Amino acid sequence: MKKVASVLRYLILTLGAIIMILPFFWMLSTSLKTQPETIQLPPVWIPKSLQWGNYVEAFKAAPFGRYFVNSVIVTVVTTIGQLFTSILAAFAFSKLRFWGRNLLFMIFLGTMMIPGEMLIIPNFVTLSNMHLVNTYGALILPWLASFFTVFTLRQTFNSVSDQTYYAAKIDGASDWKFLWHILVPMSKSTITAVTVLQVIGSWNSFMWPLIVTNDENMRTLPVGLQAFTTDAGTNFALLMAASTFVIIPMVVVYIFLQKYIIAGISNSGLKG
Amino acid sequence: MQVTFKDVTLSYDGKREILKHLNFVIQEGTLVCLLGPSGGGKSTTLNLISGLLAPTAGHIFFGDKDVTKEDALARKVGMVFQNYALYPHLSVQKNIEFPLKMAGLSRGDRAKKAKELAALVHVDDQLDKKPGELSGGQQQRVAIARALAKEPSILLLDEPLSNLDARLRIEMREEIRRIQRETGVTTVFVTHDQDEAMHISDKIMVLHDGHIQQYSTPTTLYADPENLFVAQFIGEPVINSVPASALSHDLAGVVPADILSQAQTAGIRPEALTLPQRALNPLTTLHGKVVEFDQFGRESTAKLDYNNLQLISTEMGQLSHDTKELDFTLEKKGFFLFDANGKRIFGGDDHAE
Repeated sequence: MKKVASVLRYLILTLGAIIMILPFFWMLSTSLKTQPETIQLPPVWIPKSLQWGNYVEAFKAAPFGRYFVNSVIVTVVTTIGQLFTSILAAFAFSKLRFWGRNLLFMIFLGTMMIPGEMLIIPNFVTLSNMHLVNTYGALILPWLASFFTVFTLRQTFNSVSDQTYYAAKIDGASDWKFLWHILVPMSKSTITAVTVLQVIGSWNSFMWPLIVTNDENMRTLPVGLQAFTTDAGTNFALLMAASTFVIIPMVVVYIFLQKYIIAGISNSGLKG
Repeated sequence: MQVTFKDVTLSYDGKREILKHLNFVIQEGTLVCLLGPSGGGKSTTLNLISGLLAPTAGHIFFGDKDVTKEDALARKVGMVFQNYALYPHLSVQKNIEFPLKMAGLSRGDRAKKAKELAALVHVDDQLDKKPGELSGGQQQRVAIARALAKEPSILLLDEPLSNLDARLRIEMREEIRRIQRETGVTTVFVTHDQDEAMHISDKIMVLHDGHIQQYSTPTTLYADPENLFVAQFIGEPVINSVPASALSHDLAGVVPADILSQAQTAGIRPEALTLPQRALNPLTTLHGKVVEFDQFGRESTAKLDYNNLQLISTEMGQLSHDTKELDFTLEKKGFFLFDANGKRIFGGDDHAE
């Protein structure tokens, strides 16, 4: 009986793993196919001859070098900016006593229930009034604050006892020094987790960069992938080849930091 | 640093007063325990001394200086918390150095001072470890070293031993006493454990219900409790408290009649009930029955029945265990009478008032 249960458990886990891996396998396989193979039925799982040339061709099809630089700038600035504002806000909500703290927190919490898509139009209008469309400002500004990050960090900061806060005060630390010398280092794993989630989110972000940029020079990598979709149809082999090199940095980040991501999500009691 | 409280009152909500018109002086260089049951105002008093809390009314002085409006940093207090509040990501050395770093000392000076303090509290072989790798007692030592690092005007300890096991508590309380004597720092120690307080204090302040019940040396506290609460709180086994009326027949002529008529409760220390042949300063002789003998290591207690009241004595060890009825002596020392308000009106040091 025990054996059956164990076999069943592994079967389900294996199935789950296959479902997770399949899209990646399909992307890699398609990126190495010839054009006809990509739409052939029944589907070709392993291409007959591997078309490595697809990668060269895909890279040349659009200014991916420029897109890469844009993606790096946007990701780095939004991540650092968002972490900075979130750490300050989470500290205030966790350790400072001020009038209306709980009410303010509830209001912010309420904003998490508004779907992101609903904010696209108001945000676009605001930024275009500020004449920021087609600039890094438009790509970065709306993402410099995230209540999800504030919430996750607050949960972690709450787990640091008030006694530690008072101890630091008595030791001569200001709020600012307590935050950066004690609280932030003590919350390293959660901060790493939200950082990684933010880097991935920012790197993969598609809809917002698509809307606020139409200048070729301001596009980010995910938007650049559109180059392979034309009126004549989509060149799947090249699209998948480009997709592969777009996601590789994130796969690397994830592989190295996955234990922090898991720890961070399980700490906050939220599912990402 | 001498600490003075003048008419200090604290209320969190403006209605209910947690501490009521506290007046006391803690002499420089002494170790004072704040003792009392939970919710009695001990930790609140400590936080008022530290500056983490501000009083609703009244004044606090360090030496001659009014520090009522100053925060913990300006008052230069050192504090050890119940859970030690060490910084888990920093090594023992960095923990001890932290207050010095905040004070802007150079790296070299910090390291030198941290090593001296680590040697004082006997953790000099643990400097590179993280707090998580240390035992409770060692963490406690590190917390004390950190609190002493900035040479505080006063050292405050908030129930520092309550997370330790019994044997370690005794070891650490001796250590705290030793460190206090070596450094000479004025120390205030909060505890709910009377045994702990009796062993290490120069003076004990018993706090209950927002009032100072009594503030005196451990010996005085035991021998001359000012009220029934103190008499019951201090001492192990607990003092026998019985209605004074039950004893009035045996006390007539021994205790002045006017005192006897006011007395509500009688307090009898277990060692004040002894055998006639061992009596030192007998007040009177009582007659009763032995109900039970108990032996705990070298200590023994006898449960006596007197006028249907149960009394505990620790002085009946020599009695043969088949004794049923006997005459026993009520000693003067360790016998008290309290009036309806719980105030002592007989016994102890009669010249105290």
